[in-house]
Amino acid sequence: MRKTILSAGLALMGLMILPHLSASAAELEKVRVSIIPINDVAPMFAAIQNGYFRELGLEIDTTPSTGGATGIPGLVGGSFDIAYGNVVSALLASQQGLDVRVIAPGTKLTDKDTDTTPVLALSDSGIKTGKDLEGKTFAVNTRNNVIWLYARTWVKATGGDPGKVTFKEVPFPQVEDALRQKRVDAAFLVAPFSIIAMQKPGISVLAHPYTELQLGVDVGQWITTGKLLAEKPETMKKFVAGLRKGAEWYNANRSSDALISIITGYSKTDASILKSIALPAAPLKSDLDQIKRTMDLMVDSKLLSKPLDLSKIIDPLAL
Amino acid sequence: MSWRLKALSANLLGLISPASVLCIWETAGALGWINPVLLPRPSLILRSLVDLVGDGAVFSPLLHTIALFAVGYGLACVIGICIGVAMATNQVLYGLLEPLTECIRPIPKSALVPVLFLFLGIGRATMITVVVLAAVFPVLISTFQGVRGLDPVLLETARTFQVRRQRTIFSIILPASLPMILAGMRVALGLGLVLVILAEMLAGEDGVGFRILDLQRSFQIRDMFAWIFVLVLLGGGLMMLFDVAERRLVPWRGRT
Amino acid sequence: MSTIGTIGEISRTGARTNRAAQLIGVRLYGLLLILVLLSLWELSARLGWVVSAYWPPVTAILRAAVGELAGGDMLDALASTLRRAAIGYIVGSVVGVVLGILLGKSRVLRLALLPLIEIIRPIPTPAVIPPLILFLGVDDALKIFIVSLASFFPVFTNTISGVAAIDDTLIQTARTFRIGWLRTLVSVVLPATLPAVTAGLRTATSLTLVVAVLAEMIAGSSGMGYYLVQMQYALRPDLMYAAVLYLAIVGYCLNRAFIVLEARFVPWIGKT
Repeated sequence: MRKTILSAGLALMGLMILPHLSASAAELEKVRVSIIPINDVAPMFAAIQNGYFRELGLEIDTTPSTGGATGIPGLVGGSFDIAYGNVVSALLASQQGLDVRVIAPGTKLTDKDTDTTPVLALSDSGIKTGKDLEGKTFAVNTRNNVIWLYARTWVKATGGDPGKVTFKEVPFPQVEDALRQKRVDAAFLVAPFSIIAMQKPGISVLAHPYTELQLGVDVGQWITTGKLLAEKPETMKKFVAGLRKGAEWYNANRSSDALISIITGYSKTDASILKSIALPAAPLKSDLDQIKRTMDLMVDSKLLSKPLDLSKIIDPLAL
Repeated sequence: MSWRLKALSANLLGLISPASVLCIWETAGALGWINPVLLPRPSLILRSLVDLVGDGAVFSPLLHTIALFAVGYGLACVIGICIGVAMATNQVLYGLLEPLTECIRPIPKSALVPVLFLFLGIGRATMITVVVLAAVFPVLISTFQGVRGLDPVLLETARTFQVRRQRTIFSIILPASLPMILAGMRVALGLGLVLVILAEMLAGEDGVGFRILDLQRSFQIRDMFAWIFVLVLLGGGLMMLFDVAERRLVPWRGRT
Repeated sequence: MSTIGTIGEISRTGARTNRAAQLIGVRLYGLLLILVLLSLWELSARLGWVVSAYWPPVTAILRAAVGELAGGDMLDALASTLRRAAIGYIVGSVVGVVLGILLGKSRVLRLALLPLIEIIRPIPTPAVIPPLILFLGVDDALKIFIVSLASFFPVFTNTISGVAAIDDTLIQTARTFRIGWLRTLVSVVLPATLPAVTAGLRTATSLTLVVAVLAEMIAGSSGMGYYLVQMQYALRPDLMYAAVLYLAIVGYCLNRAFIVLEARFVPWIGKT
């Protein structure tokens, strides 16, 4: 009897709360975000999980895309409000006249210990430097993009001529096989694939190009377009604020199980694999100087015909 | 005199639809209705195309693509016809191969790329295999159907006259089932070309497919469309060649 | 025109006695061959002949496939792929049949529109995804459009040549008896074109699933195509191959179902 009354009371309370809840849900502004399901977007998922965006009145709707081919066209076409992308893609888009704006930093490598993007080669290959790679093949995920750019820069920095190295496109998951089968002589690889490749003997690290060549490099960014920024300045401000809070939480909980379960949730990567990776700290601000250095490298490698005006690409929100 | 006029007007009529699409596209671009970077105006694309052909940059990737197509498509046709005839004329081979082909056929070939990379490496062997795997089935199946659908009297006659097996195949079976084989080869032609482009996008270092992907990734959509135009011309040219060849080989076909 | 079906169907026209036994009897060696190949795969993975994170033993794949039946993301992904494929297939086929008949019947329309259609045919869809996103967005509309384009071409080509091949006396007869154009269409043109249309539909059936998966691989955020890539990047090749297995089974069943339906509704096919 008492149970019935109790549950009836609870139901009544529920009825009273429900309209209230749905009203507040209706007030939330929907923001559509294009992401790549990798570790780098963990701060944003942490912000979603912890309700930081909700507190600001935003509801984040994420659309994962594995290649990132849809991100920038989707922004321009109005399907997305914000997209995650790498620095080189954003500058390439800008060079072609697309009005992309960086509103927040995504990934930044400020610490050698958490740089999990090494250049790898077979231990018995005798390859140590870029010079040794002349006339050989170097695996990168995509030519004419960020990994390729730093692979070239590393070859040059270690005495080699990047023009004499054959850069071959190999998807990250296939790199370890390609190395062990000697189909490529060296490879630039990201986590978790780099960690897994090094777990078995026979493969050694030649270098960590990002942190060795440009400590503090801004690799990934959150971008939008000038048009969207002008249309919804408040939304963008709120997104950046929520994301920053997420990044702070992420930095404070970098080795926690809570973070690992967040990443497993969207990337489906096994928790045991994620536990073996030292995650880099999340940046709170973009660094114009670092982006300029990347841009200069792009000009050197002829990805850009001339330097761009970064003040028009990096929005003050990111700084 | 009048048939000439008729042919002329037919050709003009054929130009109307592509021309009007181009006009709408051009106007929409000039009025700023569509994003000029992601969908540039045809007149600008044409300029890119002229540059591409003018400085000769078109030839090396194009040759690369044509070579890959020739090898992949050629292999697909030869393998398809051989297995098709074998399966249609020999019951043991039919039983041996039918389940396997029916298992492989519905698999999306792009899902097999990791396996192909593992066993064949990243490059030519993988690209050729992707093309052959996709283009072989239309040829194989229509060959099989063509041969099985032959008039039994024809084969009985051959047997009665004790024509040797090999000769039966080459002088009776193949010519009689040629229309069906060619129909399968026509389907495989279109499929093969698309697959060549796809294979170059997946595992290529050069070729039209790789160029298109590379330009797309760096947002040089104008140049990308110029390459797509090259591809359209290539596809049209191949189809025309096929038509000519088919008319030569099966002159009685168009009259039904 | 091309009648690209399965290999099984014509052999069917042979003796019909004891079909089930015959079906297995003839194929016994073939089934054994597949078993041998799968055993080789299993052994090569278990005994370390092929060492790769992307070469799981067959049994691991089967285990993953069965495990997903109890609940998991894969069946949801399969459902959303099938939904996109089905909508795209229907749209593409209907447009293909309608345009095929229109262009087949009217010389003016044929001359005017055929060149445009032939220009579009060799364009590889992966290449035009960025501009397509401008018009269709990044969601279902984009993928459904790509699937319908892929199923449109075989249906259209077969229909138009089917209409062209109709015996002219049939039409003339209809005209002599002053039968209206609608009735001519329904009772003369359609039945006479049906075998060609079905052949096109069948080619489209096997294409549509493949293309839907491909579109999801490139621009997907759900469905089997996305699932395949995601599992590859999540280092779960067992689930990836399990997904391939499910796709193969579904593709096979669709083709079989088509043949059965065809035999029911277009019984005169194959008798030409």
